[in-house]
Amino acid sequence: MEHDKDCKTDHQSENESRLGSDDDDNEEDHNPHQREILNAAMQAGHILLENGAEIFRVEETMDRICRYYGIESGNSFVLSNGIFTTSGNEREEIFAKVQHIPVSGTHLDRVAAVNQLSREIEAGLVSLKEVRLRLDEIKIMPGKSKSMQIFASGVGSACFCYLFGGNIRDSVCAFVVGVLLYLYVLFISAPKLSKIVGNIGGGALVTFICTSLYLLRMGEHLNYMIIGSIMPLIPGVPFTNAIRDIADEDYISGSVRMMDALLVFFSIAMGVGLVFGVFHRLTGGALL
Amino acid sequence: MSLLFETLAAIVGTIAFSLLFGVPRKFYPYCGFIGGAGWIVYAGLLTYVSTPASAMIATIVVILFSRTFAVRERCPVTIFLISGIFPLVPGAGVYWTAYYIVTDELTLAARTGFLALKVAVAIVLGIVFVFELPQGLFKFAAKKPIKTEERKERENKDDLD
Repeated sequence: MEHDKDCKTDHQSENESRLGSDDDDNEEDHNPHQREILNAAMQAGHILLENGAEIFRVEETMDRICRYYGIESGNSFVLSNGIFTTSGNEREEIFAKVQHIPVSGTHLDRVAAVNQLSREIEAGLVSLKEVRLRLDEIKIMPGKSKSMQIFASGVGSACFCYLFGGNIRDSVCAFVVGVLLYLYVLFISAPKLSKIVGNIGGGALVTFICTSLYLLRMGEHLNYMIIGSIMPLIPGVPFTNAIRDIADEDYISGSVRMMDALLVFFSIAMGVGLVFGVFHRLTGGALL
Repeated sequence: MSLLFETLAAIVGTIAFSLLFGVPRKFYPYCGFIGGAGWIVYAGLLTYVSTPASAMIATIVVILFSRTFAVRERCPVTIFLISGIFPLVPGAGVYWTAYYIVTDELTLAARTGFLALKVAVAIVLGIVFVFELPQGLFKFAAKKPIKTEERKERENKDDLD
């Protein structure tokens, strides 16, 4: 923010040098790069929002990019699943763009990368062309491989099973269940099922496998096995972001994200309850 | 002794989950440290104060560390916060509630459900309070900034090489 105040006066003069050399495109006599700048800002906002950043960060990053490259009338409104941005006053061309951004997975490495880029822009280290290139690179940044994720899910499940009171054998079972669960998440739930059905299915799957392992005498504490194994489903990211958005007074996005988190919590509980109910009946209450 | 193993489990578990969320590799040690610290505080306090109170204090510790490391590494605080807070989120509470509802022990279900809610609210309060602290308080953690000119020079050199 401080930076913006310092620079506002000399924006117009520096613009030419910052924006690189392609002056030969003969657009209107406004800032010829306005469209590009706003598109870049929009793209940065898109990447941030999609990958689990807070609303506040998205807005600030977009503002920074607009201001630094000399658009004064830039204005953006960010919701949890969409960005509206406009610009235009007596000197600047009118521009408006709306983008719908469906909620997808969390890739904090992309958030970190855009954040780093935004810092470099403020320090004056990158030209507009480079910004577009860097954003395109960030967009296709490879995440962790699927096998790595599946393994991490297993390890996480095992650790949390131990943490909540299971013993080593329970943790080994939780590892197996965590691996199977993430196979389900990656190949069935995420691409094909809705959030509600997917999470009910996930909770049910975990409970079913854990109960089977328990009945086969592989694990000793059914409860801790299940608690550990459902951890990969727990919506920690929407929950934390919802709180932060509400604290920043972004109530609409905050409540949408909180709703998302609560829905997932309830779906998991329902999945677990469903399978428990069936087993309860079949075994006449002996199991639980 | 068991606290030691539990903390170890919290550290490894936190790192595993930070991998799931795509945290860059160089931040894993920080995430593990924060998760472990949060769990030590939480488990250590459980014998003295109620569950929501210890969850809140642990959350405060987690966020203080997260903000410090975020300033130190110049990256979004979300990276450390989300994975570090995972051991404290009442996943177990949700499970017990479902369990007691199915086994028809509604009093216990209500009690555990309400406890889970209280823990969630405690975490919320912890987050909200610590984020109110001004950013300036965390300046002590900042690394020495590299001056813009120096960096430009360095980059030019790289180009020549």
